[in-house]
Amino acid sequence: MNTTSPEFKRLVLPIAAFVLLVGAGVALILWSHQVLVGAKRQLSIVSAERAKNSERLLRIADEEREVKEKIAVYRQLAALGILGREHRLEWADAIKRIRAQRGLIDLRYRVAPQRSLVSVPGKPGTIDFYASTMTVNLALLHEEDLFGFLNDLRASGNAYYAVRSCTLSRTGVPPTAASLAARVNATCDIDLITIVDQGAKS
Amino acid sequence: MATKRLIYFTAAELRVYRRSRRTLASEARFDTDEAGIEAFRAFLSQHRDALLYVVADLAGEDFHEDQIPYLRGAERRTVVERRLAQRYRDTRLSAAIPLGIIKDERRNERLLLASFTNAQQFTPWLDAIAESGTKLAGVFSVPMLAPALAARIGGRQAHCIMVTVNQAGLRQSFVENGRLRFARLEPTVNLAPDSLALFVRSETARLASYLGTLRVVPRDGTPLKVFVVAPRGARARFEQTLTSDASLEFVTIELPEALDRVGLRGTPEDSLGEALYLHLAAGNPPKDQFAKLEERRGYRVWQLQRAVAAAGAVGFAACALYASAIWIDILTVKSRTADQASQSRQVAERYARITRTFPVTQTTTDNLKATVNEFRKIAARSPSPEGALAHLSTVLEQFPEIELDSLAWKLGTTESTEGRNRAAPESAKRAVPAGERAELLEINGRVNAAQRSDYRAITDKVERFADTLAQNPDYSVVRTRLPFDIASEGTLTGDIGARETGEAPRFTVVLARRLR
Repeated sequence: MNTTSPEFKRLVLPIAAFVLLVGAGVALILWSHQVLVGAKRQLSIVSAERAKNSERLLRIADEEREVKEKIAVYRQLAALGILGREHRLEWADAIKRIRAQRGLIDLRYRVAPQRSLVSVPGKPGTIDFYASTMTVNLALLHEEDLFGFLNDLRASGNAYYAVRSCTLSRTGVPPTAASLAARVNATCDIDLITIVDQGAKS
Repeated sequence: MATKRLIYFTAAELRVYRRSRRTLASEARFDTDEAGIEAFRAFLSQHRDALLYVVADLAGEDFHEDQIPYLRGAERRTVVERRLAQRYRDTRLSAAIPLGIIKDERRNERLLLASFTNAQQFTPWLDAIAESGTKLAGVFSVPMLAPALAARIGGRQAHCIMVTVNQAGLRQSFVENGRLRFARLEPTVNLAPDSLALFVRSETARLASYLGTLRVVPRDGTPLKVFVVAPRGARARFEQTLTSDASLEFVTIELPEALDRVGLRGTPEDSLGEALYLHLAAGNPPKDQFAKLEERRGYRVWQLQRAVAAAGAVGFAACALYASAIWIDILTVKSRTADQASQSRQVAERYARITRTFPVTQTTTDNLKATVNEFRKIAARSPSPEGALAHLSTVLEQFPEIELDSLAWKLGTTESTEGRNRAAPESAKRAVPAGERAELLEINGRVNAAQRSDYRAITDKVERFADTLAQNPDYSVVRTRLPFDIASEGTLTGDIGARETGEAPRFTVVLARRLR
C-alpha cells in the first residue's frame, strides 16, 4: 500500500515514537553495559584487596616475628635520636665534648645544608631520609685518634654517621719529637643521616 | 484507543452498536431512507475516531462456486477480480471466499463468489462512511461469520447448518469443513414461538432438500446436523418441534447460552441472533469480506500507525529484556563484590585484632618495616674505614721496611682496570669488577732499607706487599703504581751512575672491598 502525503503525516508521530522507544531501549542497554563494566572492575579491585588481606593474614606469624625483630631496631633508632628532626646544637655539643675528652690538637668542622636522601612510601605517610654532610679536619697525634673520634661520634647519637671519605696524611713531624705537635692530618666527609617518619604519632 | 462500532444493516433499518470487550450496547438506529442516511452522516461526524465494522444481513445474497487455476500474488488477484467482474455487474460489494485446493492433475482452487443481488441499497451508506473519514475495518455479511459461529456452537463438524433468528429474519447458513457454502435469509414477521419453530423446521427441510439437489451433503445416511439458536425463552418449544429424523439432527441452543459460548456477556434487550455475528465480526473478523482496499485505507493507515508504535514498544521491550539480563549480571557481580568486600573486611579486622597484640610502637607496622628496611640498606652501603685500615695495619706489620705517607679512604665505584693495572693480581681483578660500588683505600708509601738502584728488590717488595693485602678474600688490589714503571705501555727511566739522593722510592696501591 503506497501512502499519500496526508496519510504519511498521520504516520509521523508513531514513527517518532518508534525511534524514541528503540533509541531509549538501545541507550538502556548501553548504560546497563557500562554499569556492568564498572561493577566488574570494582569486583576485581575488591577481590585483589581480599586476596592481599588473606595473604597478609596467612603471613601474620612471620610478620609478627619480623615486627618484633624490627621494632628493636626502630626503638634503637628512636633512642639514638636518629628518628626525628636534626639536632645541630647537640651535634656541636658532642664534637666539642669529644675534642675535649680526647685532647685532640685541632678540630674544625663544617656542616652543609640538609638534603633529602630518599623518600620511602609508607602507610600512612612517607618515611623521609635526610642527610647533612659534615666535613671534619683533624690534627692528630696518632691515627688511632681518628678511630676514637669516629666511635665517640657514633656513640653520641642524634644521627646516623655514615663516613663517605677519609684522608690521612703525615705532617712531616718526626715521631721521635717530644712536643705535642700533630703528626697526622685527617680530613673526613661524614653524612649525618636523620629519619622523619610522617606516619608516626607525635 | 478507537472505539469499535458495529453497524448491523438490514433491508429495514441500520443499527449501530458500541462494543466493549464483552458487551454490546445499542447506540443508534436509522431508517433506510434519505432522512436516515442524513442522520447517519450526522452521527458519523460526531464519531470520527470510530472503528467501523459493517455486518449486512440481507436477502438476495448470491453464492456461486467457481474454480480458478492455482495461482498466487498479483496473478491470483487479477484472475479473481476478472471472475467477479464476469459474475457480477457491480463488483464493489463482491468477495471471493477460498474453499480449498482440488488435488487433481490441474490443481485448481475452489472459490465461493459472493455478492448482493441488490448492492444499490447498500452503497449510499458506504459512501457516507467513506466521506466521514472514519475507519472502515470491513464489510461482512452474516453468512461470512456463520462458520466461526458454527465452530463455537457445534465444534468441528464436516457439514452442518447454522440457524439463527435475527432481526432481519431466519438466517440459515450451510457450512462445509469450516467454510461457508451457502446461505439464505427468510423474513419472519412477528411469529409466535410455536409458529417460528415450525417455520424453522420447514425452512430447514427445504434447505436440506436444496443442498441435496446440489449434491453437497453426504449421502452415507448420516443425518445432517442443524444447530438452531432459539430466541430467549423459546428453547422448550423449539426442542419439542425440532425433533431429529433420519436426514436432520437438530441441536437447539437458547440465545443466552449461545451468547455465553461466543463470550458475549451483555447485549441489548431487543437483540436476537445478530448479536452473535456482530460480536464475532468485531472480535475475530474473517479474512474475506466485501470492502475493497481503497475503502479501508483509513483503517489500514490506522493499523500501520499501531504496528509502527507497537514495533517500537516491542523493540523497547526487547532492549529492556536484554538490559534486564545485563542487570541480573550486574546484581550478581555486585553481590559477589559485596561478599568479597565483607570477607576482605573480616580478614582485615582479624589481621588488625592480631596486630593489636604486637608490641606497641609510635608508628604503623608498614612504616616500621619500611623505616628499618631502608635504614638497613643505607647502613649496608655505609661501611666504616676502620675495617680497611685495620687490615692494612695487620699487613704492614709484615713489611717493616714500608712506610706510609698518606691514606685516602672513600666510598665510590671501581674504575676499569684494563690496561693500567698490570701489577694487580688476576684474582683481585675478578673480585671487584669495574663499575661496582666499593670502599676504596688508596695507600701511598715508600720502601725504606733498600738501594734505590736495586729496582728488582723494590719492585719485588711492593708486589709482595700488594699480594699480601689481596690475600684477604674481602679485599682486592685494583691498582698498583710501582716506583719503576715496568709496564710495556709505560716509560722506563733510570740514572745509572748518578749520585744517590737518599730518597726512598714511592709507590701507590689501591685496595677495594665490594659493598653488598
